[in-house]
Amino acid sequence: MTSLRTIVLALAAALLACIVGVLAGSSGFGLASPDIMTSIRVPRVLAGFGAGAALAVSGALMQLLTRNALADPYVLGVAGGAAVGALGAMLVAAAAGMQLSEWGVAGGAAIGAAAASALLFGLLWRRLASTATSSGGDGAAALLLVGVMIGSGCSALVSLILTLADEGQLRGMVFWLLGDLNGATHWEIVWIALAVALAVVWPTARELDWLARGDAWAATLGVPVGRRRRAVLLASALATGAAVATAGAIGFVGLVVPHALRRLGVRAAPLLLPASAIAGGAFVVAVDAVARTVVAPLQLPVGVLAAAIGVPTFIAMLLARPGRGR
Amino acid sequence: MSDAAALSDVDTKPRRDAPAILLEASALSLRAGGAAGNRLLFAGLDLRVAAGERWVVVGPNGAGKSSLLAALAGVFPIAAGSVRVDGVELAGWAPSALAERRAWSPQFWSDPFPATVRETAALAHRRDSGWRGAFDQRSDPEVERVLGRLLLADLADNDVQTLSGGERQRVALATALLQDAPLLLLDEPASHLDLAHERLLVDLLLAQAGGPGAVVASLHDLDLAWDLASHVVLIDGRGGVVAGLRDDVLVADRLGAVFGVAIHGIEVAGARRFVVGPNPIGRGAS
Repeated sequence: MTSLRTIVLALAAALLACIVGVLAGSSGFGLASPDIMTSIRVPRVLAGFGAGAALAVSGALMQLLTRNALADPYVLGVAGGAAVGALGAMLVAAAAGMQLSEWGVAGGAAIGAAAASALLFGLLWRRLASTATSSGGDGAAALLLVGVMIGSGCSALVSLILTLADEGQLRGMVFWLLGDLNGATHWEIVWIALAVALAVVWPTARELDWLARGDAWAATLGVPVGRRRRAVLLASALATGAAVATAGAIGFVGLVVPHALRRLGVRAAPLLLPASAIAGGAFVVAVDAVARTVVAPLQLPVGVLAAAIGVPTFIAMLLARPGRGR
Repeated sequence: MSDAAALSDVDTKPRRDAPAILLEASALSLRAGGAAGNRLLFAGLDLRVAAGERWVVVGPNGAGKSSLLAALAGVFPIAAGSVRVDGVELAGWAPSALAERRAWSPQFWSDPFPATVRETAALAHRRDSGWRGAFDQRSDPEVERVLGRLLLADLADNDVQTLSGGERQRVALATALLQDAPLLLLDEPASHLDLAHERLLVDLLLAQAGGPGAVVASLHDLDLAWDLASHVVLIDGRGGVVAGLRDDVLVADRLGAVFGVAIHGIEVAGARRFVVGPNPIGRGAS
């Protein structure tokens, strides 16, 4: 029952993180005025939790789909599309002399994420249905490569936008790219996206474990391989796009959280997906609480601290992968 | 009771008692990679696998052994002919219902994430238990029994990513057995196994086919094939295929011609054994 114990622990950690997150602020630790609580701190915790949960679920899905424990939500290139959209919106608004609201940036990110997803689906729709009889799995490799290429294209566009932007905008853009919950108040969309994504994949989650062992083998167990892969990709793109539009491209949540959960005994996809949501949300809320208090009154972008935890973890994972016996 | 009634009893009885045909292939042709236009692997294969039978598929590398097993499992495109399970064409089966009837074990498995031997063996066990199955696999007596039979009990909590090739092969067999289907389609189940575990495999598959079950397996070792098989499918790699009783197909001369080496059949303790001679075919073989 280690898996059950781990999930209970994750729930407790999530609760604790949310309490700390609501109490911690740049104005000091403790209850703030009701106005600050309801308009800043609670929405920020909710947005952070939703974004972290969506990214961790998306990461777990991408790892299962590509059979690669080092995959994360960003291998799809969807986050890159969101970045182009968000920064493009900032650039256009500044050129037009407008003050861009939070919703404007999020809207741009959402459009960019949707465009990148559409491109990904358009290129891979047929390929995803293929069931290679060999173990390698045609679809998984193609997905990884096309996603990485879309991401590369997007990062070139991001560089272009950063070059075109003027000094005043650069700071906001770079903060957004790092993943920033500062001023994040619209938390509803990412929660809806998370709920939709889980509703799409969770009922058939056991089949994802079979797919990870081999496409053809899963097919002999009755799994509609193409349909499942498309559903997973759609859920992952939706969760990633919404998370990035809400909180920027927070790195490493999607990689580290499913990995840590597997280490703690939560392996089966039907448990891993909800556990990733809980632990991913807790992770981002906790990291954000530290990020905005550790050098108060300055607020660090949450992405910086997440990377500080994520990079060593990633390297440790890479070097500690057990060798194959055969 | 009249004589006529007794006679009709005699007439119908063998029919009723005849073992069920689990799997049937008619005029089956396969092409390499499953795509039209590719090299023909073989054409016109007919076989009927009845309960209690063990069919062993032998042939040179690339002859189409794996493709045949995958085609029988329904995951490799058929160029011509048909495959029926329990008398119903593959296309007529609901995929999840077919999983109740036959288990296919591929030659290669991917183990991308940490998972214990027990978890891997139980992957396809109790497929309808949904997410609840993720909680209570630990104390499933049937899983423990199969792990014990395959001498995997001591490894049950080890990570599959750390196993040797032969150990992983036994876990794959456990996974197939725990799918609880009467018909096993096994692609190279003996690869990486040492001598003792090869015998274990043969004993286990003979027992598996002893009841209402049947086995179709590809093997490279001809001696092992002799000990396991009741029937043999020999694919020659040049488009030809023979299927029939073991004693008719596993004949030294025929095997020598297919593999292009001199093969001698000898008797050892009542079983036929195949020995490869040092000379090329035509000179050493008699």
